[in-house]
Amino acid sequence: MGLVTFLYTLYLIAPIALLLVGSFGTSWTNSLLPTGFTLDWYREVIGDASFRRAFMTSLEVVAATCVVNVVLGVPFAYAVFSAANRGVRLAARIFTLLPVAVPELVLGFGFIIVFSSDYLPWLGTTWLLICAHIVLTLPYLVATLLGDMDRLGIADMEKVAETLGAGFWQRFRDIVLPSLRYSLLSGLMMVTAISIGEFQISNLVAGFLSRPYPVVLLQAFYGATGLACAATVILIILALLAAFGGAAGAHLAQLRQKVRA
Amino acid sequence: MTIRFDNVTYRYATGKGGLSDISLEVGKGELLVVIGPSGSGKSTLLKLLAGFMEPQAGRILIAGQDIRGVSAQHRDLGIVFQSYALFPHMTVLENIAYPLKLRRVGRDERIERARNALREVGLANAGDRLPGTLSGGQQQRVALARALVYKPKALLLDEPLSALDAGLRTDMRDLITHIQRAANIATIHVTHDQEEALSMADRIAMIHEGRLLQLAPPRELYDAPVDTTVAAFVGKANLWPGRVVSPTLVATAFGNIECVASAWQIGAAVTLLIRPEAVMPITDDDGQGKGPRQEDKQPGRPINRFNGTLTQDRFLGAVRRYDLVVGDGVITGETGYRGIISGVTISPDDVRVLPA
Repeated sequence: MGLVTFLYTLYLIAPIALLLVGSFGTSWTNSLLPTGFTLDWYREVIGDASFRRAFMTSLEVVAATCVVNVVLGVPFAYAVFSAANRGVRLAARIFTLLPVAVPELVLGFGFIIVFSSDYLPWLGTTWLLICAHIVLTLPYLVATLLGDMDRLGIADMEKVAETLGAGFWQRFRDIVLPSLRYSLLSGLMMVTAISIGEFQISNLVAGFLSRPYPVVLLQAFYGATGLACAATVILIILALLAAFGGAAGAHLAQLRQKVRA
Repeated sequence: MTIRFDNVTYRYATGKGGLSDISLEVGKGELLVVIGPSGSGKSTLLKLLAGFMEPQAGRILIAGQDIRGVSAQHRDLGIVFQSYALFPHMTVLENIAYPLKLRRVGRDERIERARNALREVGLANAGDRLPGTLSGGQQQRVALARALVYKPKALLLDEPLSALDAGLRTDMRDLITHIQRAANIATIHVTHDQEEALSMADRIAMIHEGRLLQLAPPRELYDAPVDTTVAAFVGKANLWPGRVVSPTLVATAFGNIECVASAWQIGAAVTLLIRPEAVMPITDDDGQGKGPRQEDKQPGRPINRFNGTLTQDRFLGAVRRYDLVVGDGVITGETGYRGIISGVTISPDDVRVLPA
């Protein structure tokens, strides 16, 4: 078991470590490891207007995706959770998981077909890119919320609150939302991580001036190895930040769970 | 404030469970315990009263007012649920003050009232703690304080003790009755635990398959159950099917039993109820019954006497519950006597004749 864990970790870490090494190497051609030490590649990435633009686009898309996820995801999860009919609940859960099950390529082509027509000529706009990311990430947030609603016993708490005299909005504000705050945090971090690293749909849907970071990153691979490594490391750092945030959120939620038990 | 059910009927779409034609009344300050096996409809009764469902027929009155169409939010009832359902993100004090906040009671007053309520349930120092740091029994007390702090019209307790361990349960029974008396509030307590019912209730309503079988004070329910279902559910019981052969004699598998059957027609099919503590062991040394109530019996009256073999002998501390095999039947008795038992007597006065 220990050996398997070690090998798996090695398999996971090695490429990232090599990227890190490569991003500081002067030249890396036909050798096991690069030679020389330089910060030039990072300077070049940071100095490059298209990288900077892509970086900002990515942040914009992530932020907008998170906001819309909260606005749509929380009420949606709550509605599915409160639905009295078992069939409705099951259908809703399957429906939200569809975007996860369908290959992204299919979704991407769907977007191209629908939004390149004369009636809906919106392909290439940033907000269409944001829409694509929302479709992709919403299931993860909803699944996280639904799972925690079950575990936290929201239904019982709401029933009690109702008998204590709380109306629908009071219950939502005083009981449901505060109970879900950690769950929401960890769900959003997952959304962020997915959105930051998303390539397939972005590559198909994004316009030339609204390309997010991973799409521009692909271009770097056609140039010098060091440049590609440095550009990738920046993406990894972004993704890691999101992942750690997510883990911290989940940890907090779990701590609270223990307190409750 | 009183609670009244007038011919209330509710049927689920599945056809299982529900209530048929329930009528009962709970007076001001009265503690009515509703008992019945699971699926008997007692939870339905609570849901109808709480306002989570509406009856299909009949009406429910709280303080004389028909509450049909009034939502759960506006019924002004205090309900303690089995799961307590305290709000984990609020402190104990905030939990208790929450219903007051909803009623727009000023901050200082609601803190003051919440503190008083907390003191009454014996948790004066726990106000700043989070519910998750409390034990089950303490959470239960907080839930009770929260349900009473706004002086609701009635109190409903939905199996509030079933999640606690046995030792704590008896303490909580006393606490609940104490607080309920102090608040002088009409209370319906739903449980499947007959011992809990007997020890707490002013009156007990026994529900079975959606019907109210008997509504009586605990002693009457125990001593004079209306039928075998009630007799079997409340306390331990020897139930023997038989046929009336004379006004003082019923034929059973154990032979002819002396009892008072004058209210029954000769030939009627009946069931005899004998509580285990009424079964008196005959001790080997003198051949006389030596049970605790032996002195009460009038000498010279006929007595039912059985000899058999002891098959089960359970020592429960204060009493001993034994099974005596007599012919093809088994008599279960309870006694404080610790010697050898090879036979028992049953006084005719202790045999109750129930419909078959």
